[in-house]
Amino acid sequence: MIKVTNLKKSFNSIEALKGISFDIKQGEFYGLLGPNGAGKTTTINIMSTILEQDEGTVTINGFDLKLNTKDCKKTIGVVPQEIALYDELSAYSNLMFWGSLYNISKADLKLRINETLKLFGLFDRRNDKVKTYSGGMKRRVNIASALLHNPKVIFMDEPTVGIDPQSRNLIFEVIEKLHNDGMTIIYTTHYMQEAERFCDRIGIIDKGEIIAQGTLDELKTTLKMNETIVVSYNTISDEIFTKISAQWKDLKRTENAIHFYSSNIKNDLSKVIIMCSDLGLDILNIDIQKVNLESIFLNLTGKQLRD
Amino acid sequence: MLKLTIKDLKLFFADKRALLLTFAIPIALITLFALAYGSMGGGKESNQTKITIADEDKTNESKSVIQQIDLLKGFRVVQTTTDSAELLVKKGDEAAILIFHKGFGDSLNAGCKPPIEFKYDAAKDAEVAILLGALEGNLIGMIGTKSMEKNAIKQFDTENPTMDSITRKTIHDQISKNFSSDESKKQTESFIKKTPLIAEEENSPNLIQAVAGTAIMMLLFSVTGMGASLLDEKQEGTLKKLMYSPLHANSILFGKMISTNIVSVFQLMVMFVFAQLAFGLEITKHIPSLLLMIMATSYACSSLGVFIASFAKTRQQVQGMSTLIILVMSGIGGSMIPIFFMPIFMQKLAIISINYWSIQGFFDVFWRMLPITDITFLTRILVLVLIGTVLNIIALQMFKKNSLKIS
Repeated sequence: MIKVTNLKKSFNSIEALKGISFDIKQGEFYGLLGPNGAGKTTTINIMSTILEQDEGTVTINGFDLKLNTKDCKKTIGVVPQEIALYDELSAYSNLMFWGSLYNISKADLKLRINETLKLFGLFDRRNDKVKTYSGGMKRRVNIASALLHNPKVIFMDEPTVGIDPQSRNLIFEVIEKLHNDGMTIIYTTHYMQEAERFCDRIGIIDKGEIIAQGTLDELKTTLKMNETIVVSYNTISDEIFTKISAQWKDLKRTENAIHFYSSNIKNDLSKVIIMCSDLGLDILNIDIQKVNLESIFLNLTGKQLRD
Repeated sequence: MLKLTIKDLKLFFADKRALLLTFAIPIALITLFALAYGSMGGGKESNQTKITIADEDKTNESKSVIQQIDLLKGFRVVQTTTDSAELLVKKGDEAAILIFHKGFGDSLNAGCKPPIEFKYDAAKDAEVAILLGALEGNLIGMIGTKSMEKNAIKQFDTENPTMDSITRKTIHDQISKNFSSDESKKQTESFIKKTPLIAEEENSPNLIQAVAGTAIMMLLFSVTGMGASLLDEKQEGTLKKLMYSPLHANSILFGKMISTNIVSVFQLMVMFVFAQLAFGLEITKHIPSLLLMIMATSYACSSLGVFIASFAKTRQQVQGMSTLIILVMSGIGGSMIPIFFMPIFMQKLAIISINYWSIQGFFDVFWRMLPITDITFLTRILVLVLIGTVLNIIALQMFKKNSLKIS
């Protein structure tokens, strides 16, 4: 469905993309994650046709982006991070305008707008000016406006930033429906839970390069990341820590805790507790940290997902 | 308190827009009005008044008087035929002309009233009055007293045919002496025939000036605001969203230009209709040429609005730039002061402004009542369209560079 090959882009002397490549299958939910300035916005801008690459190719639904820009534009829908609507117009008028840019017949467009408004729970307030809406409602209209022409691929750039839980849940429901209906979705987010919940595959981009790619399980396996038993304490002497280090090689000491890395948490948990008790460690708390996207991201980029 | 003052001053001097409004715009406007009222700038050449003369007589007497006018300080004579001279007035290029009709020389020698005619455009009453005042004073000195002196001598000779030659010469000298006194010049009634080539029939020139001048200036302000809305779209993200759609980038810009143009046409139409309803400006007899001039003016003005917006990166920048450009252009173009009040070099400078071509165009429609096919009228339309097109081409390039660039 989407094939990105050796994509390069520079802004003056800054190399924003250093030759990234990835494929996305039809109906796949692909999460593109990366810290700020990593190159994900540049990638999305190129794939959504508003920025031209220096090198490399992008094909969407069989169309080369550079050669068949207009065909590509008809195939894709883009939900930008900013709420790009006309505040003085009603939701209905906004959707009518954005939909009309795609040469949809007026009758079909009206039908589609009504369906979409119902889907997003906005039908009853369709004639109210957008400026009277809450942030969450505006976000819903923002997403709805990208769906009117039934795109095969949709790019969603942090579609749930700064909204209330009710709107977020509604948006999640719609996103899941779109996914179930077979739409190809490219999603960027700073919320780990969203990426873990929706994404079939994840690409992690940093400093203009894709540094890891795959399903969550594939990333765990590839990176050989272990789960962690975190033992917190009040105080620890150097002597006790030396003894613990001698018995457990894969660990890390922080200010008030020791992180024991384990590939088999079921067996290792009791061993760690007994060892710490026997050596006289004043245990305050024991916590188990499973491998998740956040830890993978941190491991790969050295940064939190929200950084 | 001192800290607050220093902080405020720092903020003020860091605000380029505030600096522009506080210093640059007033300086520009003071310069403009000073130049417009002729208190500075312009050498002797620029302060000379041009007078167009048609010499139908072509005798030594007419040539001599024309030469004397040309030698007068402050006058510069341009000679042409009567038809051409009249056309200059009818098309608004000249305020008035002086015609020396056939028989001027004979009349002068015969001591009769010489056939001189001053034809003028009544719309330019102030300019005409100044010109006529200066001309009359000098012409009476050159022609009037001479003619009347000869007339008096002739009459005396007719009434006293038998008088001896010595007494006759003494009396002739006394008559000549009397006619050379300043008092006699003042008392002499003007012999110049005054004919308005264009006179008030249905519309007052002052009303036309007020409506057209103000309408164009206000239109420029409103279209600049509309042009700047593209910058709002950029800031609010809707421009980027438009670029995701299959629309061509040029279509986005042309769409904005067309909508600005439509609003401009509508705004001008409303203003002229209001002028008719409120002040009695007769517009119904000139609908086709009025519409054509409104469309050309709207096109040029909206193009200027989009042009200014294309150079700016924020709406605040547009406001600063547009205030300066529009006020200067309105000043030199005749929206604030009729251009005939200005020195010659300022009048020449006026042609760079949209206001000048539009105001002259509306005078063609309402005052000179030129037909829609008239070459002068169509030339003004063409100039406005050309200005608009050049501005649009530049604006398109600048928009692509400034507004449509994604980084």
